Amino acid sequence: MNPGDRIRVTHAGVENEGVLMPSSTADHLVLKLDGGYNIGIDRDDATVDVLETDVYDVGDEDKPDDDGVSEIEFDDDLPTVSLISTGGTIASTVDYRTGAVTAQFTAEDVLRAVPELAGRANYRGRVVANILSENMDPSIWQQLARAVHEEIEAGADGVVVMHGTDTMQYSASVLSFMLDTPVPIVFTGSQRSADRPSSDNVMNAVCAVEAAKHDCAEVLLCMHASASDEQCALHRGTRVRKNHTSRRDAFETVGNRPLATVDYADARDDGADGETADAFDFNREYAERGAVDLALADDLDPEVELVKFTPGMDPAAWDYLDDKAGVIIEGTGLGHVHTDLIPRIEALVDDGTVVAMTSQCLEGRVCDRVYDTGRDLLDAGVVEAGDTLPGTAKVKLMWALANRDDPAAAMERSLAGEITEESQPWR
Amino acid sequence: MSSSEYDYESLGLVAGLEIHQQLDTETKLFCESPTEIREPEDAERTITRFLHPTKSELGELDDAALEESRVDREFEYLAYDTTCLVEEDDEPPTEVDDEALAVAMQIASLLDMQIVDQLHVMRKLVIDGSNTSGFQRTMLLGQEGEIQTSDGPVSVVDLLLEEESAQRVEERDDGVLYSLDRLGVPLVEIGTGPDIRSPQQAKEAAERIGMLLRSTGKVKRGLGTIRQDVNVSIEEGARVEIKGVQALDQIDEIVELEVQRQSELVDIAAELGEREAGVGDTQDVTAVFEDTDSGVIGGALGSGGKVTAVPLFGFDGLVGREIQPDRRLGTEFSDHAKRHGAGGIFHTDELPAYGVTEAEVDALREAVDAGPEDAVAIVAADPETADLAIEAVAERAATAIEGVPEETRDATEEGTTRYLRPLPGAARMYPETDVPPVEPDPSEIEEPELLTAKVDRYQDEFGLDSGLAEQVAYGRRMPLFEEAVEQGVDATFAASVLESTVVELRRDDVPVENLADAHFLAVFELVADDELAKEGVGDVLTVLAEQPDLSAEDAVEEAGLGGVDEGEVREVIVGVVERNSEQVAEEGMAAFSGLMGECMGQLRGKADGETISSILREEIGKRS
Repeated sequence: MNPGDRIRVTHAGVENEGVLMPSSTADHLVLKLDGGYNIGIDRDDATVDVLETDVYDVGDEDKPDDDGVSEIEFDDDLPTVSLISTGGTIASTVDYRTGAVTAQFTAEDVLRAVPELAGRANYRGRVVANILSENMDPSIWQQLARAVHEEIEAGADGVVVMHGTDTMQYSASVLSFMLDTPVPIVFTGSQRSADRPSSDNVMNAVCAVEAAKHDCAEVLLCMHASASDEQCALHRGTRVRKNHTSRRDAFETVGNRPLATVDYADARDDGADGETADAFDFNREYAERGAVDLALADDLDPEVELVKFTPGMDPAAWDYLDDKAGVIIEGTGLGHVHTDLIPRIEALVDDGTVVAMTSQCLEGRVCDRVYDTGRDLLDAGVVEAGDTLPGTAKVKLMWALANRDDPAAAMERSLAGEITEESQPWR
Repeated sequence: MSSSEYDYESLGLVAGLEIHQQLDTETKLFCESPTEIREPEDAERTITRFLHPTKSELGELDDAALEESRVDREFEYLAYDTTCLVEEDDEPPTEVDDEALAVAMQIASLLDMQIVDQLHVMRKLVIDGSNTSGFQRTMLLGQEGEIQTSDGPVSVVDLLLEEESAQRVEERDDGVLYSLDRLGVPLVEIGTGPDIRSPQQAKEAAERIGMLLRSTGKVKRGLGTIRQDVNVSIEEGARVEIKGVQALDQIDEIVELEVQRQSELVDIAAELGEREAGVGDTQDVTAVFEDTDSGVIGGALGSGGKVTAVPLFGFDGLVGREIQPDRRLGTEFSDHAKRHGAGGIFHTDELPAYGVTEAEVDALREAVDAGPEDAVAIVAADPETADLAIEAVAERAATAIEGVPEETRDATEEGTTRYLRPLPGAARMYPETDVPPVEPDPSEIEEPELLTAKVDRYQDEFGLDSGLAEQVAYGRRMPLFEEAVEQGVDATFAASVLESTVVELRRDDVPVENLADAHFLAVFELVADDELAKEGVGDVLTVLAEQPDLSAEDAVEEAGLGGVDEGEVREVIVGVVERNSEQVAEEGMAAFSGLMGECMGQLRGKADGETISSILREEIGKRS
């Protein structure tokens, strides 16, 4: 008896017929009845007859069906957009083993899953990884950067990276440092899995593709701007943060409006025939298409830790920082830690570790010249990372350690829009 | 033939019921929001969404879901301070609500059902926007039950515990406005087997199930809180699911009229068979109507539309044949055209009319090669709609040659039905991965006392008369009555307040729907503490109904019944006695009844009759 078989189960006087489904617990048989309902039946004392084997192919991970858009035609009049998949909710389906949702689609499947993308561009599909974004690590960031670089080199007019939302901001940040790009690189994903009719994947993908066709050649993140399917927001990769666990509009540009908004109806309708959609409303200046030559600097030093200071913490928690090449501290307020921790920081700096300060306030820049503790921290050798977000500071230091002669100095300057030069709110 | 003349047995009538009942739980099935229904104007914000069809876990698309999604519609939702991110599909659901699960198991037990070992929450694809997620969460909880009717047992096939959909507030050209208050209220769906053989038995079975549901004291009451779907077929017909029958006493009529519809369609199919009827290709006939005087057609053409037609060979006279009161075969065609956005159809059985001239009808017939035995149906609309709608008409006409189509239909107020969508299939179901399976414990079920048993007990134990006992037991305030009696309130008094007083107040246009259980209990407590006379209860409830935020004590003040102690009562009575001192002196205690009337007039509600009468007797006694 295997999943997919049609069986009859008799248990406690009730007879049920249906297709056997994979079960997540050992005690129960899960049966899909003819009406579509699944029920779990105690295995103990259940009598099972197999009526027909392999009625359905269930739980088979790679079963493309041929009724969709499998042949992707190339049209010389259309811009070319590379779709790079790394996994995540935008391209996910049900996993029968755990019963939870995991990523299983290739980039081509995304086209099949989001038919609204058809006709807007020529697509090049590519899978860099097939993981949930919490499983991302620096080596995959490097693979991703190389893949994006290759796609642009091969002539892509824009790149869309489909990514799980949990760590999307880290990947977007790291690519901002690794790549000089003459075309848009747009990260997108979804907060509701693609297997539900209400998934935000369609709107996010359409707006992301339109952004990839647009003139703004930066590393961007494109997700819902509100709870409604009305507008997406374009955020600069180094200034964006996931600020809600579940809402569609979880991503926010910290301390400012997003770089731009994209009107969904306009993006959907205007861009459908390959034209660049007139759907964008920019709040600030942006780097234009073709302004820089393509360049890749993909070295990283992964020996960087991000640590948070909280009241009452055991100073021993920082013992493991010995031998780290870099440490980002998420301090309190203007950038402080308990006075007793300052000698520890001083010792790290003396051993050659770059220690940079960010703030758990998230909004606003650190300033260690205001209070004694701050001045002591500066004396201990801490560098101020301005208003760089803590997560962004971590990937920046990984990159700066591998690519800059003076990584500490690099932390104080904006390399990819991560530091706001002047604190003018809501510009 | 009138519907009551059908011989249901020989027609092979088979009917089943699906009863949907909202549960009156504290919170919703998958979140902590209350199950409170709100007014649309109380909404705090709105969100708009689109839905996209997705495949089931078996890789199939559902016909019903697909048809719903053909039209690209925008859905707007009203959100309240009583709804949360779960209803907005912006937060994962909680685990299944314990209270809802307990009530559903109680209902399963009353229906003699077996409870499923492990409940799996499923997503049933519904992409008409009534669920923000695009699916309804539902689980199969009970199987193989049975109820009794006077015509024999009716099997109960399944009991589903599911979430209620969002309330439709407004239909728009390009979408629908929904209200999120109702979304997620727990709902049980009870499906009977196809064992029902007459319209009367259908009604009786529905009544029996309704009584069992209400016996739990945990079901919502009032319009829309219970809905009956009726599945009907006759032997030569087909299974038709009729949705949204709101009144129990309409069930027999609905079944009768569906039997009539199916019989007429069977007759029409036979006739079409004899005539060797067929459906031709759809065509653009805009040219025929270029100079038309018809407002409908002219209007459509004026705004860039076109006219499409389909020749129905051998259909002459049958398109206009009545199959239900005021509904013809042509109405069925028209329903399908409307599903695709057209306003309706015209057909040659009803033309010339509506500004379409005889010459135009002749030209139309000629344009599509239709002879005198044939009919022609036309649609005038914008080009896309006109094409889709005429194809739908052609499809439905082709089905008429076969017989009765299987489908879901919508009940109208007249007891007739109109086409809603194809029957939903198993392909619309896939697992709700956000909610883990539940293993219910049937040993925890407390079986409630049936309403029929309550009626007997109220008479035996509390001495209520049979009428009042039944009124209370079946009334919506039964749980409140039992709670009040439990707290020591006199049963007859509680019953008369909850039934008679409330009915009287409603008759006087007092908004009694504003009275919550807590209002009644507080008023009963004041009476028990002698702070309010029984006679004043109506006045205090009136104040509370009008100002539900007042405390019962403040309502007593507001009603002008407050602060009267025995001293003041005696003062009023002494005043009355002294004004009538001559009569008292002359008649002695015989003056009592006349003076009692006067005292009551001044003291009604401020003191109860017994107190007044004893003080009055005392005061008369002193003076005579």
